[in-house]
Amino acid sequence: MRSKQKRKYFSILIALLAFLLVWAGLVRLLELPAFILPSPLQVGGRFIRALADGTLARHTAATLLEVISGLASGVLFATFLGYLLSKSALLENVLQPFLVASQAIPTVAIAPLMVIWFGPGIFSKVLICAMIVFFPVLVNTVVGLRAVPDHLRDLICSLRASRWQTLKLLEFPAALPVLLGGLRIGATLSVIGAVVGELVGADRGLGFLINVGRGQYDTALVFVGVFTLVILALLLYSAVILLEKRLLRWQTD
Amino acid sequence: MKFRIVIIIAIFGILAGCAPKESDIIRLPVGFIPNVQFAPLYVAIEKGFYEDEGLLVEMDYNMETDSVALVGAGELQFAVVSGEQVLLGRAQGLPVVYVMAWYQQFPVGVASLADQNITTPQDLRGKRVGIPGLYGASYIGFKALLNAGGLEEKDLTLDSIGFTQTEALADGLEDAAVVYISNEPNKLRAEGFDVNVIAVSDYLSLVANGLITSEEMIAKRPETVRAMVRATLKGIQYAAQHPDEAFAISEKYVENLANLSDEDKDVQRQVLADSIQLWQAELDGLSDPAAWENMQELLLQMELLTEPLDLTAAFTNGFLPE
Repeated sequence: MRSKQKRKYFSILIALLAFLLVWAGLVRLLELPAFILPSPLQVGGRFIRALADGTLARHTAATLLEVISGLASGVLFATFLGYLLSKSALLENVLQPFLVASQAIPTVAIAPLMVIWFGPGIFSKVLICAMIVFFPVLVNTVVGLRAVPDHLRDLICSLRASRWQTLKLLEFPAALPVLLGGLRIGATLSVIGAVVGELVGADRGLGFLINVGRGQYDTALVFVGVFTLVILALLLYSAVILLEKRLLRWQTD
Repeated sequence: MKFRIVIIIAIFGILAGCAPKESDIIRLPVGFIPNVQFAPLYVAIEKGFYEDEGLLVEMDYNMETDSVALVGAGELQFAVVSGEQVLLGRAQGLPVVYVMAWYQQFPVGVASLADQNITTPQDLRGKRVGIPGLYGASYIGFKALLNAGGLEEKDLTLDSIGFTQTEALADGLEDAAVVYISNEPNKLRAEGFDVNVIAVSDYLSLVANGLITSEEMIAKRPETVRAMVRATLKGIQYAAQHPDEAFAISEKYVENLANLSDEDKDVQRQVLADSIQLWQAELDGLSDPAAWENMQELLLQMELLTEPLDLTAAFTNGFLPE
């Protein structure tokens, strides 16, 4: 078991090294100037400098705050609405077209409007982030709640459980695997949402840092921003997986 | 039931915590990310030119803030925008007025590597030209150059390439590109390329970036407008006369500027030096009526305007210092 784990980490490491080598080779081979494609070493050096002078930490913190607030409000609202939709066929029929239509709107197109309507501060970014997270979580909530087996519903009904008891003891635990699946998608999407908002207009955050790097031909800094975003998304994703493992322990046991 | 209430409170708590604060700070949108070309504003803030006039100014870097609409609607007091935006906004009924010219020369041009031998607008015939997009100051400037060369869009290949002009020219993806003349050519030269630039301002005088406010501000708070113009002009003149100090001040305000490598910093110094040329600070913010006429004619020809406007209402030199 342990050697299998070891081999897994080893292969990841090898893949990462290969990626860096190909990248460095491309820069060398094509003789690309740093402002078009910086070498991994240049990006690494820039990363350390941005880390040392506190720039990276400051902008990462700003983006993280937007992501977490957006994710939290998007998930809360989506779960709440999802619960109502799963209970009421009428509500679902009425809202369904709007919800689907809202998904057809490209966020990039309305992000500038969000910034105009709600100001250049953090609020517009949180809102964009919440909007992106909203739909997958909503759909998973409805699907999860609908998938509760009928015989269990009958059982809990026969025990005269209240609405709240039904939710707490049956619906929520039964829907949890699907709910968490939605959260997994939402977590990675939320990072995109925050950055879309920052690219449109902001004075802090990783999206802003990427814009600044672009404007000053500091392409290494652009890469630093992009990689930090990737790390952020991976961490959030892993956090949801950890949460899943913990909450769904009863299922795997 | 309790559960639902908790959720609702949580949502509102999060939303309320993030709501923007209102205050009497003058938020000044410049339509771009922090950049050394805004040195006069940093200088005016840092050296207290605004403060001396009793103004508290804060930069607003929204790329997409529709500054003209927000100023016209009274949401913002001032903004820095390009001249065509004023006319397009007024055509939509937005009561904005241009009160101070910052850039006397339209900052757009067409850049190309020297081996392309593109030195006049006529040389663009049959070439592949990159442009950020078919909108905004770069498109309008490009149209003016085409007119000057007696060309039409169909005489060349026009590619919308976003803000990747430097890379596109360096890689030979485009024969020429529409650029901000103080910006991209400097980076290319620093990379060792020989660059030719055709400046729009060599062919036609157009209204470039300047300070706008609303008709309401002019009617109700003319002193604030006068003070804002005075302090901003002071910043422009100071930055033009002391470029090194202006650059040092900009390092405090422009994210990452102080951390750039020496070569990249030299590029930014050159951007400031070229910008100073475009400002022509000695003209004291004066608007040239002929430039407004030219701009309007161009917009009419491009069918961005459907009928001529009352240009005398679109700008005024009345708030400039004596």
